[in-house]
Amino acid sequence: MVSAGLLDATVQGLITGAVIAGGALGLSLIYDIAEVPNFAHGDMITIGAYLALVFNNPGEIPFLPDFGSVPFVLAAIIGVVLAGVLGAVYELAIFRKFRDNDADLITMVIVSLGLALVLRNAVLFLVGSKNIQYQTPRVITTNFDFLVTQTGLTVITTQRQAGELVTTGEWGYPWWLIVAGILAAVAVGYAVFALYREEEDFTTVSLIPPKILGAAGSIGTVLLLGVFARLDPQGTDYILGTQIGLNVKHITILAVVIVAMFILNVILKTTKLGRAMRATADNMALAEVRGVDADRVQLVVWVVAAMLAALAGILTGWFATNLTPNMGFALLLPIFAAVILGGISSPYGAVAGALIIGLSMDVGVYLIPGSSTYRVAIAFVILIGVLLVKPEGIWGDV
Amino acid sequence: MSEQNTPTPTPGVTPTDSPKIGDDGDPILRIEGITKQFGGITALDGVDLTVDPGITGLIGPNGAGKTTLFNCLTGFHKPDDGRVHLYETDITGKEPPAIAQQGMVRTFQIPRELADMTVFENLLLAPMNQHGERLRGAWIRGDQFVEEEQVIRDRAREIAVFFEIDHLLDEPAGSLSGGQRKLLEIARALLTDPDIVLLDEPLAGVNPTLEQKILGRIEALVEDGYSFLLIEHDIDLIMDNCERVVVMHQGAVLTTGAPEAVQSDERVIEAYLGGDDV
Amino acid sequence: MAVADFIISLLTFIAIYSLFGIGLNLKFGFTGLIDFGHVAYFMIGAYVTVVLTMPAGAAGYSGIGGFALPELFGVLGPIGSLFGWLLGVLGGMIAAALVSLAVGVPTLRLREDYLAITALGIATILTTVVNDEEWLFNGPFGINTVHAPLRDVFPLSLGSFTLNMAVFGILSLAAFGLTGYWLARAFRRQGRRGKLVLGVLVPLVAVWYFVLPTLSDGMVELTRNTLWLFDPTAGPKGGMDYDRFVLLLSVAALGGGYWLVERTINSPYGRVLRAIREDEDVPRALGKETFQYKLQALMLGSALAGAAGALWAINIGFIAPDQFAATITFYAFTAVIVGGTANNKGVILGTAFFWGIRNGTRFIDVPSQYSIQLAASRLMLIGVVLILILYYRPEGLLGEQDYDIPLPSRDSSGGTDDV
Repeated sequence: MVSAGLLDATVQGLITGAVIAGGALGLSLIYDIAEVPNFAHGDMITIGAYLALVFNNPGEIPFLPDFGSVPFVLAAIIGVVLAGVLGAVYELAIFRKFRDNDADLITMVIVSLGLALVLRNAVLFLVGSKNIQYQTPRVITTNFDFLVTQTGLTVITTQRQAGELVTTGEWGYPWWLIVAGILAAVAVGYAVFALYREEEDFTTVSLIPPKILGAAGSIGTVLLLGVFARLDPQGTDYILGTQIGLNVKHITILAVVIVAMFILNVILKTTKLGRAMRATADNMALAEVRGVDADRVQLVVWVVAAMLAALAGILTGWFATNLTPNMGFALLLPIFAAVILGGISSPYGAVAGALIIGLSMDVGVYLIPGSSTYRVAIAFVILIGVLLVKPEGIWGDV
Repeated sequence: MSEQNTPTPTPGVTPTDSPKIGDDGDPILRIEGITKQFGGITALDGVDLTVDPGITGLIGPNGAGKTTLFNCLTGFHKPDDGRVHLYETDITGKEPPAIAQQGMVRTFQIPRELADMTVFENLLLAPMNQHGERLRGAWIRGDQFVEEEQVIRDRAREIAVFFEIDHLLDEPAGSLSGGQRKLLEIARALLTDPDIVLLDEPLAGVNPTLEQKILGRIEALVEDGYSFLLIEHDIDLIMDNCERVVVMHQGAVLTTGAPEAVQSDERVIEAYLGGDDV
Repeated sequence: MAVADFIISLLTFIAIYSLFGIGLNLKFGFTGLIDFGHVAYFMIGAYVTVVLTMPAGAAGYSGIGGFALPELFGVLGPIGSLFGWLLGVLGGMIAAALVSLAVGVPTLRLREDYLAITALGIATILTTVVNDEEWLFNGPFGINTVHAPLRDVFPLSLGSFTLNMAVFGILSLAAFGLTGYWLARAFRRQGRRGKLVLGVLVPLVAVWYFVLPTLSDGMVELTRNTLWLFDPTAGPKGGMDYDRFVLLLSVAALGGGYWLVERTINSPYGRVLRAIREDEDVPRALGKETFQYKLQALMLGSALAGAAGALWAINIGFIAPDQFAATITFYAFTAVIVGGTANNKGVILGTAFFWGIRNGTRFIDVPSQYSIQLAASRLMLIGVVLILILYYRPEGLLGEQDYDIPLPSRDSSGGTDDV
């Protein structure tokens, strides 16, 4: 048995980052295209989480009859759709009116703050402040023990079944395979990068930047090899050992957020609507002159952002195992930090910023003993540090 | 009446020396190799230029980099390369307030009036280094404070009378017409008592009578030793009123010289005909 | 509880939060800085003042200090003790200003929306630090040994019962007279709608304050409400009790803060601040070091918030980190915007409106299991009011104030003289 260490903190940080990224994707859209620094975004996350709860676990909500539970995935989909409807309401009832009045940035900040108060307290009013959970199948966590030995790497997986720790697998990778794997990963990554970079010219709008595609190729190679080239254990007499805990939640959250990011990117880069959105982000007045229906674009932005927020809320509620009226507001600061860090205007920037923030929070808490209450503070120190050096964020504001 | 209205340097109000009368030989501005890029697009490509006392006109087709040059000179953009000297002082990369304090102020192409403040307040803001502009001065308010504020108000009124916006002094600046905003912008810049003023299209949208009046005023100020560098689209105005003309094209200086010489320069004609209309 | 006592506690609240709001108005209303972390300086002012003024080794306290400044100067009698407390308040204000300096240097160069979010973040972090670091200010347990200045002097008695009643009674009547005069002047200046509002509201309040208590509790109650500064039950001969003193102290502090901010903005300095709010590039192009101005406005506003915090501490008598949640900042923003952004009178009006509604709802009887719902609906109402005001009346109830720099002798005023 080995204990969890830096590697586990890194994995946790990635998951935290993925959850933040869900919110950051939506916020960056609103920030960039609707030009609203949306302080209600955290509470839109909360609303989304509770909308799914209404269908998944209505018995917990005082003013609702207990009409039975809908499976979690279905409830999540209904919740996301309803959140999208609410997003349209925010835009039509509030933000469009202020935009028509040429409200300035400061006004938009305060308006979104007002909306935040309304949303959070609506949840508090209807549900109260108690902790509630979704009704979901129990998730079993698998612990992966990684042991570095003289001859290579041994992996032992254990699970807790009926209170007992059971070893479910044991395999290993000899040194030659590890070295070969790393080489293969680098080669594949570079090959992919080179291949796509050649196709690129000044006019191409690349869906996925070649660098990211290359990195994805490398990671994919390592994962494939790791899964399919499982050889004999290399002994348990370890020099270095560490443990990470993984379960289906982790994988799902990562996958859902990455898929959401890709879909958003495809919409922005390939569809007519997406081009209109990007033109609006660039210059709303100019876009309107060129025949873009700005009102329609803004409506779509709010709907999509509210859906993404709901997705983030549902994932958060599922991951953290309970829902509170403050859950979204607590995420607001890291989400803003991620978006500003990523430079507002690109989905990739938002996700990258979110991963950096998530990693710095969890790794920071691991590295600095007794700092667990300062998770958000760590994210903020990093944000302020970056802003001091580059006031426009890492990826710039272009 | 314009002769009487020349702003006189006021004790405690003017930071720099009074305008350098008689230093005719020395250039005011020396610009060497100023380069500025925006995300791979080169807006300024090694601008070399000296600006002598008097009125200098800056012309060039749209996109030639005139306003970008102004922004680089006054500190609103940091040039990527090159140096700017105001008299003997190196002002490259300094912040806008420091450059203004050195005696070079600018106006904005689209007038930036402080909409919720009155026209009078817009003008009163301009004189530099007022005692009441410091927290201590504002709290304590000695005789100097009172005297200075009275002088500033008189000057602001005078200049408002000249620019024919004195009947609007108590109106919010946001209620002015486009032409009046231009006037306010110039008046505000002049109230700082600068050595050189960079005017970004000061005459666009101003009626012809007023146009002539502003030009007359500028000439009167030049007599007193002030200098102007102005961007203007109306070539005839530039040719009639400027002592020297600078032509910019594609981020660089195409030619400099007396109006007549520039007017007949083949490259200038080419640049204008080949580029956008003026 | 007599109506007078309720009014006194409400007015004390309003005075303290108005001072807090005036500090915010200097930042937000006049300079355009969205400081979503304003409450942090309220907290710092409260904590630093309390620690500087309380005795060392207080029971149940394991943080830094106390430094017992009033005791130190107490040898000079009550005035010395009061001076010690004032020094403590000054310390709290300076601490608040210094922390805002540290916050301002990195953040004031950022875009205005970035400033809002970083300020909120830093305030949240500061509250977390105070809450989690017990060695600092006793952590979540708070401090209940708050030094109350001149506590020993009260209830203040001037001699006999009659003398007390006469002196404090006359002072009370004078306060009513002043209020009446001020109301009448305000009434005359209003348009038709303002006249209507005042004409309805003032009699209603008067009936509620004078007539209803008399009908239910008789003449004694009327006397108590009329001679509100005099408390017949305070001490053997009656007198002025401590709550009334805290109210007067808070009103005096508010007056001082109001005067200071008015003097600051009605000056060439204030012109620069407002120019920054409108379009920072303009004062920069005219040679003003705007960064310095923003920093100073931030520090001054924070110092006022710190003073409000010191008063808060003696008014409540106990401070703990959970009193300083981010919502306090949002309340102040609401009060400023409702009353009229960039209008110091508006801040007081907005604060009175806000806390009047908030504390007034305590008379609504709801079963205790719905207390969360009541609190939540209040905050929802605040959010809705904020949005509606910004849409239908963005200038607030009073609108931006007028400015004037009064000059002696020569007639050369640029604006109106109504400030």
